[in-house]
Amino acid sequence: MASFNKGSTLRSILREALQSISRNRLMSVISVLSITAALMILGIFVVFTLNIQSLTANVESRLGMQIFLSEDYTELEKTNLEKALMDNPNIVEVTFEDVLDAKEKFSDELENYAILTTDLTGEKNPLPVSFIIKVDKPENLEEVKAYVESHSGNGVEYIRYGDNYVDSLLRFNYFVNILSILVLTVLTIISFVLIYNTIKLTIYARRKEIGIMKYVGATDRYIRTPFVFEGMVLGLIAAISALLLLRLGYYYFFGMIKGNVVIPIQSLLASPESVFKQIIVFFIIYGMALGAIGSRFAMKKFLDV
Amino acid sequence: MIEFIDVTKTYEKNAKHALQHVTLGIDKGEFVFLVGRSGAGKSTFIKLLLREIDVTSGTVKINGYDISRLTKKEIPYLRRKIGVVFQDFRLLENKSVYENVAYAMEIIGRPQSKIKKKVPNALEMVGLAHRMNHYPSELSGGEQQRVVIARAIINNPQILICDEPTGNLDPDTSEDIMNLLTRINNFGTTMVVVTHNQSMVDRMEKRVVTLEQGVVISDESKGRYDHGFF
Repeated sequence: MASFNKGSTLRSILREALQSISRNRLMSVISVLSITAALMILGIFVVFTLNIQSLTANVESRLGMQIFLSEDYTELEKTNLEKALMDNPNIVEVTFEDVLDAKEKFSDELENYAILTTDLTGEKNPLPVSFIIKVDKPENLEEVKAYVESHSGNGVEYIRYGDNYVDSLLRFNYFVNILSILVLTVLTIISFVLIYNTIKLTIYARRKEIGIMKYVGATDRYIRTPFVFEGMVLGLIAAISALLLLRLGYYYFFGMIKGNVVIPIQSLLASPESVFKQIIVFFIIYGMALGAIGSRFAMKKFLDV
Repeated sequence: MIEFIDVTKTYEKNAKHALQHVTLGIDKGEFVFLVGRSGAGKSTFIKLLLREIDVTSGTVKINGYDISRLTKKEIPYLRRKIGVVFQDFRLLENKSVYENVAYAMEIIGRPQSKIKKKVPNALEMVGLAHRMNHYPSELSGGEQQRVVIARAIINNPQILICDEPTGNLDPDTSEDIMNLLTRINNFGTTMVVVTHNQSMVDRMEKRVVTLEQGVVISDESKGRYDHGFF
């Protein structure tokens, strides 16, 4: 019918959307702030979950078991045990740690307390020798432990592994995951309602214009597009604000921990870079999608003219 | 051009009919006054033409096409063939005269090059070329109505519907607006004018269709306002 010029149409749509945001400045600011707040709370949960995941991954990577040999173990006992360990399919790595290795590791862990370890030399070194094994999955730890016990014989002093620690961390992680999904759902609904209402007010303020557009023969899509675009812009601004604030906050928190805590916990936490790399795309898509869908729903009633 | 065939419209179940078995034809290029008291069914007639509402029974045809068969997506294209002028003008206050008229072309995706050529021409025709950059609030009622008319005809509609176009205007200004509508009609645009302006209808000597309680009670080719009532 009409010669359709996409360029000029798109330009006028963009212009309308931006004009509308600045015209309804107060409402736009309020809804951006609310969505930013919602996204920030969400972000805090995400950061928390990522850290728990990082911690568990760390623990999982060390899912080892240390089998300490008694002081008077024999070479035969040692080789028998080593062979048995090698044969078990659930054990993926076997390392033998002799007296010197043990000392070095101990010294590394207590880097700042060198004075404690300097005396540990030669004959005076009380550290035991051990096999350090790695198990494929945390669930297999119990089984492997039983296996090792049945093959230990007299040479084994005791077996150490972080069973309770791993268990509760896994359970905690599961709990945090469930909680995050709940929080995400609730906040999505809240943000949706906020965007929905903002756009509805915008539409209400412009209902006369929409009426004219309908009479002149504008298609629903043409009328809807600037509002949907407006919602997306609001969502995008909120997502970026939330990201910036979260980043600032997490940096501060991270720095605080790094400077003041004795235990080397910072190496176990997810770094700000890795956290934000993971959430940046999600936040932006989430914010824009929320804006678009909220506007679209808000438009529905007004288009039935 | 416009055909109403046994059209009945009822808004709510068991309620009074807004239109009852109305059968009416309007030819291409005709100038028709639609008169009647408030609630006689004039607005319903216009809403049916624009497919703002659907018939309860009967058929409304434009150019021989039953418009009830249009899908929701096709309705905007029907409305592009029909210009509408309202009693309350309905101009956008934050846009200049030029922008208000250009808007109607932008909405249907016309290129800026055409808009820049056509809008001044249309404003010239309604006698407002010199007011192009003014805002609606700076114009008199008659001038605002001229802008509305320019907007309504900018996309070359086949039909122009005017709902009480002089309802808010003084007699002299009303006269000017009517002359303008007559000129547009002379270019071949079919004109449907709903009005309460008795003296205007009498003076113009055009076809007059009178509605009363949803029924066409008179239809005269050189009618007078009161023929249906007495």
